[in-house]
Amino acid sequence: MSSHREAPEISKDPVADGTDVYAFVSPKRPSSVTLIANFIPLQTPDGGPNFYEFGDDVLYEIHVSNRGTAEPDVTYQFRFHTRVRNPKTFLYNTGQITDISDTTWNRPQFYSVTRIKNGHRKVLGRNLRCPPVNVGKRSTPDYAKLSEQATHSLDGGRKVFAGQRADAFHVDLGSIFDLGALRPFNEVHLISMPNMNGVNAVQSFNVHTIALQVPIRELTRDGSVPTNPMRAKAVIGVWATASRRKSRIFEQESGTYVGTGPWEQVSRLGNPLFNEVVTPMAEKDQWNAREPRGDSRYAKYVNKPELQGLLPVLYPGVFPNLAAYTEPRADLHAILLTGIPAGVVPGFQNYTGAVEADMLRLNVAIPPSSSPNNLGLVAGDPAGFPNGRRIDDDVVTIELRAIAGLTIPLVDPSYTPDGAASAVQDGTTNTNAHATNTFPYLGLPGGGYQTEPGTTQAS
Amino acid sequence: MSETNRRNFLAAAGAGAAAVGTVAVTAGTARATEARRKKNSAQETVVAYVKDHRSSELRLMVGEREVIVNDRDLVTRILNAAGGN
Repeated sequence: MSSHREAPEISKDPVADGTDVYAFVSPKRPSSVTLIANFIPLQTPDGGPNFYEFGDDVLYEIHVSNRGTAEPDVTYQFRFHTRVRNPKTFLYNTGQITDISDTTWNRPQFYSVTRIKNGHRKVLGRNLRCPPVNVGKRSTPDYAKLSEQATHSLDGGRKVFAGQRADAFHVDLGSIFDLGALRPFNEVHLISMPNMNGVNAVQSFNVHTIALQVPIRELTRDGSVPTNPMRAKAVIGVWATASRRKSRIFEQESGTYVGTGPWEQVSRLGNPLFNEVVTPMAEKDQWNAREPRGDSRYAKYVNKPELQGLLPVLYPGVFPNLAAYTEPRADLHAILLTGIPAGVVPGFQNYTGAVEADMLRLNVAIPPSSSPNNLGLVAGDPAGFPNGRRIDDDVVTIELRAIAGLTIPLVDPSYTPDGAASAVQDGTTNTNAHATNTFPYLGLPGGGYQTEPGTTQAS
Repeated sequence: MSETNRRNFLAAAGAGAAAVGTVAVTAGTARATEARRKKNSAQETVVAYVKDHRSSELRLMVGEREVIVNDRDLVTRILNAAGGN
């Protein structure tokens, strides 16, 4: 979660595995939007000697739809290339890396950024440097400096960063995927155990982040900066993808794979948890290869989510109203597939039209919140999820409570949520590295030397 | 046929004009149908993909493109080659 190893096929291809997408109006530059796509899940910081890096053979993209068609109107492409400076050593670095251009970094990675808009391609930057991974105190003694050097300003007021960061997502993977257990509610689970606090399974893991900050006018359909949130043009849909070449041949002479043919999408991500807990196992791989505009085929899983049926079974007697609710989940349909239309939440909408598509929808006319609530819109903070997604938004709790029925009254006032619907949670808090208040916002990645083993037990 | 026997056969065939003509015609036909590269032929690695051996569809991966060819004869020759023929 939110999309870490969420489908059978992509779980075997971590370099192309998208984990989270974020989109929000930049707090310190409210005339811009920050788009973030994370890849390569659950990196142990000490995973050397061949540390994590973007795939030179993967096409990473962030897409924005602004005309209600769920087709990409603006796409940013990221292509990477890696060099080996000294082929005679096994070392990732042959000395301290104190500057991003140090030749002691034996495996530097570079990238280009290309924008496709209205059919026109424009290279926004090329040969941009990634930072090295955070090897440890000796190798990368001032990682903050390396990170700062890898934050590039591009023409037109844009910023870009691509490299390792601390994962900001928090979730109790170990419990949730152990028969849907939520540790704070262990006692009322079908297989009862003592209640306890949640365990943040993502804590201390790194990811690889692509972060881009662009002026709002670059993303809206008419090039304007909307100020009225009720206007359709104020809403954009965002998702990220990773693609590989259609054919992949293993070249025995070089010991590497060579790709040929067109790029084929192997991973995509819009709303957190969609493919994770909505799409059935047998359809997850196809979901990753499809475009959002065809998501009507998944609407039935949104309208009657499997997890809605499981909660009353796993927690007998706790969700009687949810168990009795048989109407299609119009609330989830709006949140995940069309955006919330006007008239549901006073003064707010992020409706992108009737096309059913899993996209992260952001109303860019909603300014950043001066006092963010990490439960976002359901807690009265319209600058947070499901209006886009900020780094600290607690999307697991928000979506758990939504599926548990808390948001049904938005579209069906006759429904009374179960008491547990507003209390359900996985019990984790954000114990990850602190997000920063400047671009690229995600915390600095954990260092290899600083990493200690976990606490795995067989029983 | 051993190499010795092959030489004997060709030598024997060369003894008669009709036989020589037959050999010449066969060789000429082969030259006439031999494929020649066109100016816009691919200048890089190409991967050929026959997904369904009962179909006439051949998919060619070249650069960042996929070229779909419907040519039963070409597919048949590839299938034969794949079979070691």
